[in-house]
Amino acid sequence: MTSRRHFLAGLAAASLAPMRGWSAVGAPDYLAAALFPDGSYRLAGLDPSGDILFSLPLPARGHAAAAHPHRAQAVAFARRPGTFAIIIDCATGTQTAQLEAPQGRHFYGHGVFSTDGTRLFTTENDYEAGQGVIGVWDTDSYRRITEFSSGGVGPHDMRLMPDDRTLVVANGGIETHPDTGRAKLNLPIMQPRLTYLDQSGEVLEQVALPRALHKNSIRHLAVRADGLVGFAMQWQGDTSQHPPLLGLHRRGDAPKLLSAPEADQIMLQGYAGSIAFSDAGDTVAITCPRGNALHQFRVSDGQLVGAFPLDDVCGLGTGPNGFVFTTGTGVVGRLTATGAKIAVRSVCQWDNHLVPIRAAA
Amino acid sequence: MRAIVLALSLTLPVGAFAQDRLPILTDTVNAHILPGYAALAEATQTLATAAQTNCDPMSAALRAAYHTAFDDWISISHLRFGPSEVDDRAFALAFWPDTKGFTPKALTSLISAEDAAIQSSAAFAETSVAGRGFFALEQMLYDPQFSQLGSEDYRCALIQAMAKDINLNASAINADWEVYAANLTSPGETSPYRSENEAMQELYKALITGLEFTAETRLGRPMGTFDRPRPKRAEARRSERSLRHVALSLTALRDLAARLSADHPDIAADLDGAFAAAIGRAQSLDDPAFEGVATAQGRFRIEALQQSINDIRAIASAELGPTLGINAGFNSLDGD
Repeated sequence: MTSRRHFLAGLAAASLAPMRGWSAVGAPDYLAAALFPDGSYRLAGLDPSGDILFSLPLPARGHAAAAHPHRAQAVAFARRPGTFAIIIDCATGTQTAQLEAPQGRHFYGHGVFSTDGTRLFTTENDYEAGQGVIGVWDTDSYRRITEFSSGGVGPHDMRLMPDDRTLVVANGGIETHPDTGRAKLNLPIMQPRLTYLDQSGEVLEQVALPRALHKNSIRHLAVRADGLVGFAMQWQGDTSQHPPLLGLHRRGDAPKLLSAPEADQIMLQGYAGSIAFSDAGDTVAITCPRGNALHQFRVSDGQLVGAFPLDDVCGLGTGPNGFVFTTGTGVVGRLTATGAKIAVRSVCQWDNHLVPIRAAA
Repeated sequence: MRAIVLALSLTLPVGAFAQDRLPILTDTVNAHILPGYAALAEATQTLATAAQTNCDPMSAALRAAYHTAFDDWISISHLRFGPSEVDDRAFALAFWPDTKGFTPKALTSLISAEDAAIQSSAAFAETSVAGRGFFALEQMLYDPQFSQLGSEDYRCALIQAMAKDINLNASAINADWEVYAANLTSPGETSPYRSENEAMQELYKALITGLEFTAETRLGRPMGTFDRPRPKRAEARRSERSLRHVALSLTALRDLAARLSADHPDIAADLDGAFAAAIGRAQSLDDPAFEGVATAQGRFRIEALQQSINDIRAIASAELGPTLGINAGFNSLDGD
């Protein structure tokens, strides 16, 4: 549906869009949460070679972060079921504001800014109702404006579509309640959904998996510049099954599920942590910390093009010269044409996600 | 790229040493798993027969059979892999927690519509898991809401269909375990467990998730928060089995832990001491349905029980896990 011209224009816009406030301050290329050797949880800014430009303390274990589109500002989220999110001035590496989830809500660890930068959207749990909500915050005051249904249970990752209006939400389907920690309360009846919403909360499209895969929790997202959505999944069903952990979806179509050949797929223990498209958009990759592997697929035919053994790999970001990954053992590395290369061994343990500040994804 | 794929398949689990795990695997299968599922199959047969003989919810024989069969289920409910997971059998035996009240909704809908699905085992097996199993049967036997709803004949037939369905599920799991057992006792090419270590890890995971479920869900749900305790969320509170489930599960998990640590006497002793402390706390609680969560003193004692289970979890993951080559990766254990 999308013309090639439109596609290329989108790519150019994404990679060339100036991060106005960011560029002036020698901004980091990536953000990532980590556990440091002194036992503190911190958010770090990384340069392209994996060196830590700054780090600042988080109140507890972090998860993901989101960068403001033009201020040198980022928001770092608590790992679920945390209730804090902190706003960071990335020029100085200091905290400028802290968000608290409202009464009866907790954050899931992901969020996204609107394209104009005036709004922040956060995935949250209305845990008494067992329903997902999207919180809407004003980015001048960082006060909460409103909220609306996420269109499902357990919303986790959320991204803005290239039309700059539509939100795509990974409603993982799993109900949890802070009283019972991270216990999963509804596995036999869980219904994960990939949900497209407009910014007033109207559901534009709901995408479900085939019935036999209803225990495959849709958790993390990547969006290509032409609107192709990649989603990474976590299998909650019988461990003797090895379903696909990566899906691709285009609005209006059925989702397409990608799987490695069986010998590789069974190594993954049903768990993918992060997902990203390559800079050119021709490949998509997932990290699999339980299987200690990074799997890279060709988008055009859905074939596995590489399975890279990497201990506890989880963070994954698009980079101009190949995927950048982080691991729970402290490695920052890059995937190149000749394989996975370790750039730096940091002293910290990198947490789930690596968030690119300037790249298209 | 081929070479890289090959390299991955040669990666070995971290910390795994070639040890002879077969005695432990064989012992756990033959003395812990198979007798547990056999007992459940037998007790649920008694339950189905009792319901057929007298479906009156007040029937002493029916209630006794319900309690015995439910006991046998709780004592193996931590073994959630393989045959129990085929066709959602375990969920069809025990749909709990029920956060959105699907069980009463399913029962109301079956009874109000006089759904004919209860006339055939195959058709009933296709209905919602929320309206089947021990928790649905409990509401039919113990919840006044369902003692008058609809016709007596239909309620009777529903109770009989539930009991039979429970028995069919339990028998199917038991029959499949007779075959599945060899996967654990002879790991390798033809087994889902490629090594003795992987088979050990499955059993260790059952221990850890069993402890976690009892501490966080069986106790955590009724406890709620100090300001908002939730006694009505206690498991099987209508038949006053909530505390009993905690004690039964701890006893079963103690047996499993002892077998898994059989070749490490120091660890076995630490685990057994911690289990003894937790079971002692459970036995000294005189609060079968955890109604005490709503009082300061009752809550304090239930919190202490929960802490004692968390103590077992800490010992298991700090001492037993490493002996089984469990890779405690920062992200691999995260689950987010």
